[in-house]
Amino acid sequence: MEVFVFSLFNGILYGMLLFLLASGLTLIFSMMGVLNFAHASFFMLGAYFAYQVSDHMGFWPGLIIAPILVGAVGALVERYALRPVHRFGHVAELLFTFGLAFVIEEIVQMVWGKVPVSYDVPASLNVTAFAWQGLDYSAYRIFMLLISVAIFVALFFGLTRTRIGLIIRAALTHPHMVASLGHDVPKVFMWTFGVGCALAGVAGVIGGNVLGTEPGMAIQLGPIVFVVIVVGGLGSLGGALIASLLIGILNNLAISYDFSLYPIFRALGVERDVDGILADLVNLTTGGIAPLVPYLLLVLMLIFRPRGLLGTRDV
Amino acid sequence: MRLKGLFACLTGLVMGGLLTVTASTGASAAETIKIGLIEPLSGPVAAVGTDALQNFEFSAAKINAAGGVLGGQMLEIVPLDNAMSAEKTTQQLKRAVDMGLKYVVQGIGSNHALNIIKFVNKHNKRNPGSEMLFLNHSAVTTAFTNELCSFWHFRFDANVDQKVAGLVTQMSRDSSIKKVYMLNQNYAYGKSFQAAARRIMAERTPGIELVGDELIVPFGKVQDFTPFIAKIKASGADTILTGNWGPDLVRLVKFAAGANLPAQFYTIYGGLTSSVGGYGADAAKVTMKQINEFHENHADIPADVSQFAMDYLGKYQDTWYSDRHRWVIDMLSAAMNKAGSSDAIPVGRALEGMTYQGPLGEVEMRASDHQIQTQLMVSSLTKDYSHPISYKGKDFGLAFATDGVISRADTTLPTTCDMKRP
Repeated sequence: MEVFVFSLFNGILYGMLLFLLASGLTLIFSMMGVLNFAHASFFMLGAYFAYQVSDHMGFWPGLIIAPILVGAVGALVERYALRPVHRFGHVAELLFTFGLAFVIEEIVQMVWGKVPVSYDVPASLNVTAFAWQGLDYSAYRIFMLLISVAIFVALFFGLTRTRIGLIIRAALTHPHMVASLGHDVPKVFMWTFGVGCALAGVAGVIGGNVLGTEPGMAIQLGPIVFVVIVVGGLGSLGGALIASLLIGILNNLAISYDFSLYPIFRALGVERDVDGILADLVNLTTGGIAPLVPYLLLVLMLIFRPRGLLGTRDV
Repeated sequence: MRLKGLFACLTGLVMGGLLTVTASTGASAAETIKIGLIEPLSGPVAAVGTDALQNFEFSAAKINAAGGVLGGQMLEIVPLDNAMSAEKTTQQLKRAVDMGLKYVVQGIGSNHALNIIKFVNKHNKRNPGSEMLFLNHSAVTTAFTNELCSFWHFRFDANVDQKVAGLVTQMSRDSSIKKVYMLNQNYAYGKSFQAAARRIMAERTPGIELVGDELIVPFGKVQDFTPFIAKIKASGADTILTGNWGPDLVRLVKFAAGANLPAQFYTIYGGLTSSVGGYGADAAKVTMKQINEFHENHADIPADVSQFAMDYLGKYQDTWYSDRHRWVIDMLSAAMNKAGSSDAIPVGRALEGMTYQGPLGEVEMRASDHQIQTQLMVSSLTKDYSHPISYKGKDFGLAFATDGVISRADTTLPTTCDMKRP
């Protein structure tokens, strides 16, 4: 039981970081209908910007400046690149963001080199907040959790309870009506894209120093963010939150309990002493394949409930 | 007509290109011995490839400055970019053949090394008279000098089994180590590390308990190491033995440091610049040990090796880390001089059984399997030493300090190689 609760807690810590990363993507998708393949690249930019700023001014200015910079880059990308592509339809947008991810990775390698940079957790928060099961949890881990929760709350109320949220949502479904009412719809989209990218930037700032800041970080995290938003339901903020927590918790449980898959194979009549590829399969444990669990979840979700947990439209 | 024009144009371009090449190498072209270096010089792991190129160019320049080989012929390293892809490795091998290269150097990625071994075996069988040798500087899969051994392949780096034997030997000297947790990447290399460690620990450290032995999905797929750290903590392990590299090592270390896990690391790749750069301030919170053949803070390094490392640091502001790269060029040069030829077969025969003064004593290219037999050293990352690790002028504030030297007797392992010689 203790192990279960402990895994649950660790899963929430990891899941909330995933949520922070996915929130920007789901915001952009739900408000603009654009599936941004370069989202994890903006996450990476956030980490590198924060590294650069913190090198000169410390962590806290970086926490503010880096997301603003990433947001500005995002807004510029929307204004000068995505908007002209928009009229060729969603496939063109998708391909554009796909290419953008490679461009950003190359630029990052040119500017900051190909080996990881030393972006560190701020010393003021790198103190033990509490210990559980013999592991120390730094104040920084708690800080990450609080930031993620705060952003969820702010986004949720911002979109559902404020005038700005109303205009943004209306701009997606009734762009001409919103424009007739005197709102600049393209500008609304530019701001939305910028804010979505800035959220990825925030995730980069607070996640880059824990996960490591290197040019491969975008590619490694990119796919899992898509799993989060598809499982949660495309465009659903609440769905993304649930999916993130689910993936975080499943990942932790799979590793902590480390069940063998052998009983399943034995039931199918396959014994341990087989040769070749089956031998590898029979000896699998859930811990060994934990990072693949989200993708399994994705496949199952697409088969049985294509709209995702809280989605309103099919993928 | 248009085609003819295009052809003329192309011919002009090619001739022009040839002329430039000839002009740049000057009159000495006929006296240059070219060595192809197939490594990732572009793409995500290009940093490792370009570092290797820099090492080999520096080593070759030293030989050239001392008069070259075979009475005045110069060595030239020809960079061939494989961008870490299998097809490009094959393409570059074909280019090497077209250029008439007799030597190919590679080491990053055992899959590419295997590709080269197979290619060279086939090429040499079909083209007697224009054989090539493959000089492997870092691809460590043990099978290359066991069941896959070939006369045309020479390995200048200790293989996985030898490195694991070195790590385990060092562990056996530390009586405070009681419980070891193994964590490796689930692919060919990680599995061979795991198998070697299980076998050698059973022989050399019967008193140490293996309290955990796990394989993880490799290459950065694991983002959150907290559950692994929790399991390591729960197992009571005092030492983590891992072959991990790249983000799989950096994250493991960062999460261990973040949780104040009181276990030390025994690694192969913990001291690479790409790892050290990633730990950041967390490096100071863990005990990180690594095994390799050289570091400049070791007390008994011969003066010429120290001077070489200093010259390299002076020229590139990089720490000289892979001394074996120097061995490749020095031993190849010695073999050419001994054979009195730059052809693959006599040079290959001369390399067999050749001895060389390495930084820790005499090393030998074992004739039976073409595997270098060398001393190794286990060192820790520390903060207080005269020569901190430097990379592209950046000082990491960390240095290597020797924990122990592993003698050749302790890293010499039997081979199953049944060598077919030409």
